[in-house]
Amino acid sequence: MDEATSTFSFLGLTFTWTTVLSTLLAMTVVVLLAVFLTRKVAIRPSRGQNVIEYVLDFIRGILGDQLPNNLARQFGLYGFTLFLFLVVSNEMGLLLQVKNASDVTLIKSPTADPLIAFSLAIMSLTLAHATGIKTLGFGGYLKNMFLKPYAAMFPLNVVEQVTNFLTLALRLFGNIFAGELMLNLLASMAFSLHGFGWIAALPLEMAWQAFSLLIGGIQAYVFVMLTAVFTAQLSGEE
Amino acid sequence: MAQTLIMTKAMPLGDMVFIIVAFLLLMLILKKVAYGPLTQVLDQRADKINKDLDEAAQKSQDAASLVDQRVKELAQSKDQASQLIATAKKSAKEQSDSLIQAANTQVAGMRQSAEEDAAQMKDDAMNTAKKDVADLSVQIASKLIQKELSADDQRALIDAYLAELGQQ
Repeated sequence: MDEATSTFSFLGLTFTWTTVLSTLLAMTVVVLLAVFLTRKVAIRPSRGQNVIEYVLDFIRGILGDQLPNNLARQFGLYGFTLFLFLVVSNEMGLLLQVKNASDVTLIKSPTADPLIAFSLAIMSLTLAHATGIKTLGFGGYLKNMFLKPYAAMFPLNVVEQVTNFLTLALRLFGNIFAGELMLNLLASMAFSLHGFGWIAALPLEMAWQAFSLLIGGIQAYVFVMLTAVFTAQLSGEE
Repeated sequence: MAQTLIMTKAMPLGDMVFIIVAFLLLMLILKKVAYGPLTQVLDQRADKINKDLDEAAQKSQDAASLVDQRVKELAQSKDQASQLIATAKKSAKEQSDSLIQAANTQVAGMRQSAEEDAAQMKDDAMNTAKKDVADLSVQIASKLIQKELSADDQRALIDAYLAELGQQ
């Protein structure tokens, strides 16, 4: 986190190159993937269409388990985009980490950056709270959020709302960040021991990459599912 | 130190705005590129499956009713056929009966008229024979007795005699 960064300013806001480049790359990959898999969309699906239909079905399953039908439909596009973006983001750093000459990381997993994880969490929770207000009205929303199951739970409920936000963001960030940190440690181990470290480091790196691949998928799934769970809680569905 | 602190404070907002805006754009692009067409196709497929299932149900219902209809028609035509055969048999029998009866009556009539003819002819023959015999007898007798009896008396005598013969 105390890595060297390189920033630029635009419209009075400061942007970090790492964030911008990594996010844009991940999104480009998502778009290319989506375009590639939906070249020929037909009622009789081709192989590519089957893959993306499976993803869509998977997301609808997650949302449908937590939310009532109309909300699940409304959240379809959001969950779909979120899941694809998170999967690509989580796995990206396993294959690609780019640093420039002055050792500033330009490209890594976007979700290994706490700021990005928090931004996504803020977005998801804003959506969840907005849905709660829309469904229950403002008064009903506040009552549902703070005074359930009974008024005495108020302090705990306040804490819960804060921890919801923190855990949503930190779970994602922590998993991906730790995965990449470990990969980097193993990679530096490969260059130690007079150049023979790779003999031990290579199998370990491979094993850890496989594990991180799994973790990345699971975290994408968990993030989408928690978004659905919080939305359901905040709109009084339980 | 102060500089870096300001930087770390200033940094997040820009990045956050960037991420959220980029994500919303990504959502729009994906909606246009993948999500929209996909959901449309999924809906179409669901519609098609529903329609096909409905159609299949309708068709099997139609087929069942057709089978019923055919079975009914078959039974009807069987009935009709057996009715036809029965009436044909009956009319044939009636016809043959009437033919036989007609033949019988005709035969009977022919026999009767033949009998009548025969009787008539016998009578005629008898009468002629009687007359001839009588005439002949009268002639013979008149020749024999030389007109002692009138011809009429003779005939009456012979008639009586012949009648007696006929009765025996």
